[in-house]
Amino acid sequence: MHDVVVIGAGLSGLRVAIELVDACDVAVVTKVHPLRSHSVAAQGGINAAFGPSDTWQAHAFDTVKGSDYLADQDVVELLAKDGPRAVIENERWGTAFSRTEDGRIAQRPFGGAGFPRTCYAADRTGHNLLHTTFEQATRKGVKFYNEWFATSLVKSGSGVCGLTALEIPSGEVHPISAKAVVIATGGYGRIYARSTNALINTGDGCALALDVGVPLKDMEFVQFHPTTLYGSNILISEAARGEGGLLFNSKDERFMKNYAPSAMELAPRDVVARAIQTEINEGRGFENAYVHLDIRHLGKDRIAERLPGIREISIHFADVDPVDRPIPIQPGQHYSMGGVDCDKNGTTVLKGLYSLGEAACMSVHGANRLGGNSLLETLVFGRIVGVAVKDYLKTTGRVEKSNLGGGLRRTTERMQALLSKGTGQSPSVIRSELCSMMNQYVGIFRDSQGLSIALNMIKSLQERSRKMTAGCTDSRFNYALIRALELQNMLQLAEVTAVSALAREESRGAHSRTDFPKRDDQRFLKHTVVTKTKGRLVVGYKPVNLGMFQVKEREY
Amino acid sequence: MIFRIARSPEGRRITRYDDYNLSVTKGMTVLDVLFRIQDDIDPSLSFRYSCRGAVCGSCAMLIDRVPRLACRTPVETIKQATLRLREFPAIETAQLSELGDSVVIIEPLPVLPVLKDLVVDMSSFYQRFEEMKLWTDPEDGQEPRTQIPAELSRFDRYANCISCAICLAACPVCDSHTEFMGPAALAKAWRFYQDSRVMNRGRYLEVAKRREGAPMCELVMNCVKACPKDVAPGGAIREIKSTGQ
Repeated sequence: MHDVVVIGAGLSGLRVAIELVDACDVAVVTKVHPLRSHSVAAQGGINAAFGPSDTWQAHAFDTVKGSDYLADQDVVELLAKDGPRAVIENERWGTAFSRTEDGRIAQRPFGGAGFPRTCYAADRTGHNLLHTTFEQATRKGVKFYNEWFATSLVKSGSGVCGLTALEIPSGEVHPISAKAVVIATGGYGRIYARSTNALINTGDGCALALDVGVPLKDMEFVQFHPTTLYGSNILISEAARGEGGLLFNSKDERFMKNYAPSAMELAPRDVVARAIQTEINEGRGFENAYVHLDIRHLGKDRIAERLPGIREISIHFADVDPVDRPIPIQPGQHYSMGGVDCDKNGTTVLKGLYSLGEAACMSVHGANRLGGNSLLETLVFGRIVGVAVKDYLKTTGRVEKSNLGGGLRRTTERMQALLSKGTGQSPSVIRSELCSMMNQYVGIFRDSQGLSIALNMIKSLQERSRKMTAGCTDSRFNYALIRALELQNMLQLAEVTAVSALAREESRGAHSRTDFPKRDDQRFLKHTVVTKTKGRLVVGYKPVNLGMFQVKEREY
Repeated sequence: MIFRIARSPEGRRITRYDDYNLSVTKGMTVLDVLFRIQDDIDPSLSFRYSCRGAVCGSCAMLIDRVPRLACRTPVETIKQATLRLREFPAIETAQLSELGDSVVIIEPLPVLPVLKDLVVDMSSFYQRFEEMKLWTDPEDGQEPRTQIPAELSRFDRYANCISCAICLAACPVCDSHTEFMGPAALAKAWRFYQDSRVMNRGRYLEVAKRREGAPMCELVMNCVKACPKDVAPGGAIREIKSTGQ
């Protein structure tokens, strides 16, 4: 029915579709209206090395060092080189970037960066970029299937031939044939109880890819953001520290001096998150649960100008006005460095299947992503993957549709089981057990014992989920069914995360093993790839593309 | 606390109200309540959600007859809150006082058609932005445009709109005149008109001044009071009315 179907309508999916719309018949399948995608919640900014005093090489170096040398350096090169172009493109589309007094795009310091290179629109950068990019996609006539939930990918021979999707408003399942499918479904943060992520971030695209034999890469690398609001875990942007915010423990001590004496609060996220968690674990937090992020010294005017969004969030969700009181914060799951294994063009092992953005692992972030690089990744690789898909289309003939019927049947059976009446297991109980367990055993600090417990628990939750029913048989807008389907995906991704984490016997970036506290380049300077073969997960490894920067000890 | 929730299994109209009795913990939001119901009591309850942080605009609904974001409405504040909206039948609050403090009424946004329970048909709302071509027509170029902070401040407030449709639901003119463009679309038109970078700014003002645009607004200002993001569409509409071609 279409040349290309993009799954997901966040910044990645929209930017790919914009690249493709003039060249072929492209459609975007998205389980929520595009403006409800999680890109909208990005706050702090988007990195771009505008000269003359900053260079793409400096941006690349910061990114590689931040990644604990696990990022593929050829991919990082593309990201850093194309940064200014991507930002300028969106500026010219209308994004309301904050400005310097003389009218240039303003830039602020961010964690792990040697230069203030983060462009921003107050602390609502994602919101501005998403709305602007959606406007352009609409202008160019991109076709959207809004509130359609992708339920499977369908293969034909060695390539993809389409997908099936559930139309949420009607409850109908549709086969959609396509020469190429692009997975841009974002991360899977909701497998954790404490997460900044939107409730929709259940990693559906990653699970679909795994199901058709495509490997998932580096799934053990889960970013915990240092500053999430105590209680709801809503993100409090790194921009708060970029603008001068300070962290204090219950002894009124700026504890970062003990962890990153030169970068202090602006060390990379993995370092700051571990520091905060250590303070809490060792009894120097408040209520054994949080520390303080203090921005009072910035003054009301600066807060209103640069950080209006986090002020609003603090007031509404924690009853704290940061103009008068410090913000209670704790680390929380924030970003999935891992994802669908692909190269810098988004190409996967399955012909015609592409991926990008948080759903993908190219890998541009390695073991730890720097703030401001994820928005950039969506726009840079949206264009690049779009170009690659255009080239691929030139080589393909008619798409073989005969397997779509089988895909449709399998999806219908899967749904039928969830829609059957009876006293099955409750999805909400399984979900809440999964999420709190992931925080406890596959969180900031991990060890072999905890990860093994996690794996056993995941297996048993998966077993229970086979008897799960949605509890509601409505066809129209059956969100209980959607959430049960999402839970099946989450259980799968949790297992891949735990398996990968157990196998990696070292500490690197966001992956901290208390039983293996050192980085071990000899054994683990390589990517984890997990494939599902005959229902079982198989762990393998892939080399890292080095070349530009020498692997070194990481100090801040 | 009793949550009296409007149900509409087939859409078009509310066919019944179901009461759910829940104990409320501190800080619990209306969205938390809805998930508690869907998870543990009644999986058939339908409502939209995404970010749970008041930035995606999915979960707008009527809470005690006031259009609000469910995710940003703590239950403990509902009974104290007043937005002093000028009332029209869909947001009439007169009967509420009879219910007392232990019953909260949750209903779909008015003005837009109900599809199921708390899910409304937003297509006419989205369609408006397309019909009015509320986007820029970018010209090729390799350089970012300059814009000083004073120029940015003329429109950045309007760029904060999250398209939740609360302004539309609060507007008596939208309720009685389906052809009215509504506050969100007009504020967005003004946003582009005020943006110093935009070349053909006149087209946004022109479209906003059409008969079914700013002239229909009666400056009730419910949109300004109800907007969860302080966008103040009514202020923009007042400006559109007073700006000549």
